[in-house]
Amino acid sequence: MKLRNFPRPFIPPFALICRLTLAIIFFYAGIEKIINPRDFAVAIYNYQLLPDCTINLSAIFLPWLEVLIAVSLVSGIYTRGAALLSALLFLTFATALTINLVRGLDISCGCFGASSGNISWFYLARDLSLFCLSVFVLIYDRGWRYFFA
Amino acid sequence: MTQDNLSPKLYPAFREGIIILAVALFIAVVFNSLRFNGIPLFGFSSAALIKEQQAKIPEISLWEAYDLYLKNKVIFIDARDPLSFKDGHIIGAINIYPDEASLHASSLKIKADQGFIFITYCDGPQCPLSKETAHALILRGIPTVKILVNGWGIWLKAGYPVSKGKK
Repeated sequence: MKLRNFPRPFIPPFALICRLTLAIIFFYAGIEKIINPRDFAVAIYNYQLLPDCTINLSAIFLPWLEVLIAVSLVSGIYTRGAALLSALLFLTFATALTINLVRGLDISCGCFGASSGNISWFYLARDLSLFCLSVFVLIYDRGWRYFFA
Repeated sequence: MTQDNLSPKLYPAFREGIIILAVALFIAVVFNSLRFNGIPLFGFSSAALIKEQQAKIPEISLWEAYDLYLKNKVIFIDARDPLSFKDGHIIGAINIYPDEASLHASSLKIKADQGFIFITYCDGPQCPLSKETAHALILRGIPTVKILVNGWGIWLKAGYPVSKGKK
């Protein structure tokens, strides 16, 4: 029966939409943090999870990682690697958020640089949703070639 | 999805991920060393940050604040939320919530160089926002920040000029 394969043709376009959505989010988040590395270092410090010696390096490195993931996702180069890193990043963010929500700390999320709101369960749900999108892209994305070849 | 289907996708993904990590680290370190406001790679000091945040910010009386306002030497910074600001604020004030300090830092530095004093205020004697915005501004290198405690309430009570709207 052909009907059994009905959803199949919709999977690659949906994966493409997920991929581009993630790219936009990462690009925006990365650029905001690159502009103010010191603010982002303070935001990381506020989470009280990393030792002092690793805070600045994380504040310098993470934004560029996000921008490179965005570039990879848009360009279709190393998409699977970018999707895997994206999933791992969202999982890490979700873990950090959960720990501090349970601790009851009222700190800035730092998700999109200096102008982010304070952490909440909504942000955790958002991170987990984006984690699911990343896993979907990792498994089902076919790259640009599928659409243009 | 079976193990056989997933493995061929995961192994290249790990390899690609490691390459992206390495490239990102390289670009990040080089860019940070070249930019004018780069930060030291390993130099974060929580003790220094706490000391900075606990530094006492001078307070200013209503009379002094009004005097500076008449001499046009002050910029009021409303640390309350945008809705309260829209409902009413000290005339000429800028709305800067503590989280937004970095967005205004460069323009305020120019004003500071021109000799302006910055006075933060919020509503209520216990309101922490004016202090938080003042700390955030000092942290970003803005000098001469003072706090007008319970600023909105006493300014309004004194009948000094206020305005409404976003500006």
